[in-house]
Amino acid sequence: MTRGLYGVALISIVLIAIGVATTYFGSRYHLRLVYGAYVNLLVVLGLQVFMGNARITNLSHSAFMGIGAYVAAICVTPETVKAISLPQAPWGLNAFSLDPISSALIAIAITAIIAALIGLIIVRLTAIGATIVSLAVLVIVHSVFLFRTDIFKGNQAFFGIPQVFSLTSIVILSVAVVFIARMFRESKWGVQLRASADDELGAQASGVNIHQVRLIAWILSGILLSIAGIAYAFYLGTISARPFYFNHVFLTLAMLILGGMRTVTGAVLGTLIISFGLESVRWIETGPVVLGIDLPEVLGLSGVVLGAVIVLTMAFRPEGIMGDREVEDLLLKP
Amino acid sequence: MEYIVQQVINALAFGAEYALLALGLAIVFSIMGLVNFAHGEIIAVGGYTMVALGALMIGNPYIVIASAVVAAMFASVMLERFAFRPVRYADPTTGLLTAFGVSMILQNLFLLFVSPRPIAVTSLYFLDWPVNLFGVQVSSLQLFETGATALVIVALMLFLRRTTLGIAMRAAALDFEMVRLVGIRANRVFAVAFLVSGLLAGLACIFIMARRGSVDPHMGFNPVLKAFVACVVGGFGSLPGAVLGGFILGAVEVAMLVLLPQEYGGMKDAFVFGIIALLLIWRPNGILSPRIEKGDKV
Repeated sequence: MTRGLYGVALISIVLIAIGVATTYFGSRYHLRLVYGAYVNLLVVLGLQVFMGNARITNLSHSAFMGIGAYVAAICVTPETVKAISLPQAPWGLNAFSLDPISSALIAIAITAIIAALIGLIIVRLTAIGATIVSLAVLVIVHSVFLFRTDIFKGNQAFFGIPQVFSLTSIVILSVAVVFIARMFRESKWGVQLRASADDELGAQASGVNIHQVRLIAWILSGILLSIAGIAYAFYLGTISARPFYFNHVFLTLAMLILGGMRTVTGAVLGTLIISFGLESVRWIETGPVVLGIDLPEVLGLSGVVLGAVIVLTMAFRPEGIMGDREVEDLLLKP
Repeated sequence: MEYIVQQVINALAFGAEYALLALGLAIVFSIMGLVNFAHGEIIAVGGYTMVALGALMIGNPYIVIASAVVAAMFASVMLERFAFRPVRYADPTTGLLTAFGVSMILQNLFLLFVSPRPIAVTSLYFLDWPVNLFGVQVSSLQLFETGATALVIVALMLFLRRTTLGIAMRAAALDFEMVRLVGIRANRVFAVAFLVSGLLAGLACIFIMARRGSVDPHMGFNPVLKAFVACVVGGFGSLPGAVLGGFILGAVEVAMLVLLPQEYGGMKDAFVFGIIALLLIWRPNGILSPRIEKGDKV
């Protein structure tokens, strides 16, 4: 636990330093990019809580992020805007608005309830089955977003969400989430869950209630993902269904795998490397002019790079860069 | 009455397609524990082969069908050789994520080198004509599909029961170490598994292409997701389970099409997956999951 706090402190210093540097030296455009990276960091941390500790691949995380984002957005947007954007919303959804804090709490509560219901099925399945069902969950949630245009506006933008968050708030939030994720990993439940991932029968024989600890991690993961979604909606002001689907699942999964899903440090490291690495790939993708040579536009390059990152990591270092080591293990003696 | 018969034939045709794909996934999974997410891209390879033949003005249906199937088989074996060999003996999660990455790379390569937009392929439309079967109006494609799947199941059964390699593959699903110890080459077993899987994907590709008539980078995803769900319902790694799961899924899907009111059409998949989830509460490991016996490796 004490070592865990030490590790949280080290990661926090890095996260705060990046935030401060961007605030002082970055343009508005950089600010937006870094904010996006921090949202993804929250997603990857939320993903790590379940996937890293239980070692069951989860592909539905972007859906939970979307649920959090949409619920918060529907609650917080003023009635006047909703009267225009959601004229046909059922259940009087366009006839009220709440302050940001209650909206966020409602979003977290609803996501947690949905996560708990889905979790009841997921935790009982074998690893592969759980992954496939999580994929089905992603597809179901996405089709609900697309189909109920009267509530979610589908592929069109849901606009008029007041900007509540700034870079400072998300840096503070990310430090808090790093703390939660790390403390969960070191807690009794976290240890039991990791033990069950290493040896399911052995853990069961030692009295671990596998289904229960998996469910706890799954719900906590859902809550953290909804927080990421709320942070996304509260800064950008507009959301649509598309960012909560496959491309985002791929992206955040690659981040977690590269850094190493077993540790919180790995989650942070992978997010930072891919967030900054991908920006340069995106720049090449648009076909820039380098040293007087006009490079062609190569759409899809970033997807190839992300896929290659996953395949190469799996082939050469399946446990990711960090493996089983947290950041303090590199500095302190065991 | 005729309406019911028609819907039953619909369900059989849907189920046959899912069973075909699910078998391709299950045969690879049973031997190396790999959840092959790249199966959908093998289908797309077949589709793009048809596009290439179209560009070369080759319209002979036999050539088109044969080359699509051969291309899918070739792509499948190449994936085994270059992408999945490093993770051959790794745990299922590593394999699953590798396959996920491979699928991502292939999709984006199609996008990069061909086109992000759908390309029309008309060379297989001739397979689809209305047939009047004892007073019931069906499509010839549905009959071909059901027939081809039945044929494949019989052929696969004969192969797995009567040939040395087939028996070795069934044994490999239980204990691969032992199979290697008695002198069967591991590389050959894997290659054949992927070859068969590619063949099944190629066959499915023909029916999918004849129905939708166009190819795009993400075309394989939806059918393969359904096939995965079929595998999970039937019991992952069990070949009869894959077939059973495929037909259950087909039946549920047609039932939803019939029962859901028109305006809920977009939610069909959500309802289908919801019902499947209820099935999984009843049997979390799938209906025909191989029983774990004393002495099995867990």
